[in-house]
Amino acid sequence: MTQKTNNNILEVIQVENLRKHYNGTYNGIMALKGISFSVKRGEIFGLLGPNGAGKTTTINILTTLTPPTSGVAYVNGYNINTKPDKVRASIGLVFQETTLDTHLTAEENLYLHALLYGVNKKDFITRKREVLKLCELWERRKSPVSQFSGGMKRRLEIARALIHFPKILFLDEPTVGLDPQTRNKIWDYIFTTKKQKGTTIFLTTQYLNEAEVCDRIAIIDYGKIIALDTPENLKKMIGGDIITLRTTDNEKAFAQIKEKLPQCKIKRIGKEIQIEVATGEEFLPSLIKTITPKILSLELHHPTLEDVFLELTGRKIRENNTPDTEDIFSFNLKSFLALFKNNNHKNTNGH
Amino acid sequence: MATNTANFFSSKSLRALYVIWYREILLYWRNKIKVFTSIFLPVLIAVAFGTGLGSILEFRHLPYNFSQFLYPGILGLSISVMSITSTLSIVWDREYGFLREILVAPVSRSVIAWGKILGASTVALIEGILLLFTAPYFNLVLSPLQIGEIFLVIIIFTLGVAGLGVFLTSFVSRTESFSLLLQLFIAPMSFLSGGFFPLNSLPLWLQNLARFNPLAYGIDALRWTILSGNLSASQISTFTLHSLPSCIIALLIFDFIIILLAFRAFKK
Repeated sequence: MTQKTNNNILEVIQVENLRKHYNGTYNGIMALKGISFSVKRGEIFGLLGPNGAGKTTTINILTTLTPPTSGVAYVNGYNINTKPDKVRASIGLVFQETTLDTHLTAEENLYLHALLYGVNKKDFITRKREVLKLCELWERRKSPVSQFSGGMKRRLEIARALIHFPKILFLDEPTVGLDPQTRNKIWDYIFTTKKQKGTTIFLTTQYLNEAEVCDRIAIIDYGKIIALDTPENLKKMIGGDIITLRTTDNEKAFAQIKEKLPQCKIKRIGKEIQIEVATGEEFLPSLIKTITPKILSLELHHPTLEDVFLELTGRKIRENNTPDTEDIFSFNLKSFLALFKNNNHKNTNGH
Repeated sequence: MATNTANFFSSKSLRALYVIWYREILLYWRNKIKVFTSIFLPVLIAVAFGTGLGSILEFRHLPYNFSQFLYPGILGLSISVMSITSTLSIVWDREYGFLREILVAPVSRSVIAWGKILGASTVALIEGILLLFTAPYFNLVLSPLQIGEIFLVIIIFTLGVAGLGVFLTSFVSRTESFSLLLQLFIAPMSFLSGGFFPLNSLPLWLQNLARFNPLAYGIDALRWTILSGNLSASQISTFTLHSLPSCIIALLIFDFIIILLAFRAFKK
């Protein structure tokens, strides 16, 4: 037994050529096409990708909820296929949908969780105070969860996931459906947890600004990891600033830039021309002088992860997605409407 | 290396069993309306329905009091409905996510199924105890020994019914399917349970059908134990289909088979 060394392993998650194939109802979808990566102890690792890219599938496999079709992963040094119980004991997990028992109070939810994970009573009492204070729910500990707002529920869920001192905290889209203020708060908790306890954090997100604050991110698309690095390094891939241009005659402008300004990378995206150049501010005057068609709009920005994603896939990350404003309550409306539909299709989100 | 069977009896599994069981009791006790209706409705049926129908049946010169006949039947039906609806909360938990919280915990699936079954059975026992307080109203005499027997019968009976509930929920993914389940399984089983009328006066083909109904054995067993202080064995046998020993044996066999099936279905 070499499990005592688990506290010292550097790569707290190791994933090797993981594949997942869903048959039947999903018409045989290859959700993961062989992904490999590793997560270092104590870092915030983000898995960034559009809806349906395989983010939730990855989390489900790493947390032993779904078995992989092939491939192997080690979480906290334990093989997910052969030691699922050990894996589950070393992780905390916050799902996309709430998994609180809304009939019970905040405190009771934490108590049941602590019992399930074998936290002893003395530890529980101090830990309960700690996590509830961290998530600013201490005053509401005796209220039933059904009275909580979406943001409070999510905070309580994070508090609950931390109760048993997990080595790794998995967060599946932790801020989806929350207002920006609550979103920032949740991030504060995530940072504090990381700092105070050295907990490794693995999260998925489709918000680019959230991915920016991760220590490292993996970009996943169509079940494949297409890039993995720190946000800074990924942005360096772009190679400079980005100028987006719209003119009355894009064809002509495109040809002119190509001919007279060979130092820049240029491509057309929809109705816009995109130019990549080392220093945008100095480039702009010569650009304006060069092109003859009338400029409708001109924008200069420093590269973001959105640009990285665009560069890698040729698409915007959220172009076909539901808007950000979709809130938690629309879930209830959806299930309510589903009552009137006769088809009993299952919840397919996340695949 | 610890095997699965060894894990099952570890303190970790017992703790998990306790969590799931405890939650089931907490949910019942927290829901005061549910506690109230779980007592009110059966009493209402036994009193109003029993007295009303009993007054018509007086012309038949029954050798027993109809309300006293009805009382164990209503009690049996109430506790079986209670234990089955308790396990149906699995579907609710699945749809609203709490089941995932349990499934992801370092606990084996069979422990979860056991916790649900034991929890449902305990809730049914609590309801049964509360209902037994109304026994004096029906002029029923219950000795301490009898009460012990009744508790045992309730436990043996509801374990199987809860097992049936867990088994059925494994095939249901949405709460809307509840009503379908109730109509397809619970309603026919209730009507052919002997709760409302003696099964042995039914046509033979219906009697034979009732022989496959676990509820019929449970309710007959309750009749034997609850009424033994007031009526003689020969009187009770005029309105029961099965003898007490055969009821107990049938219930135990049913418990064993259905709980095994429930585990297999739940592990999926």
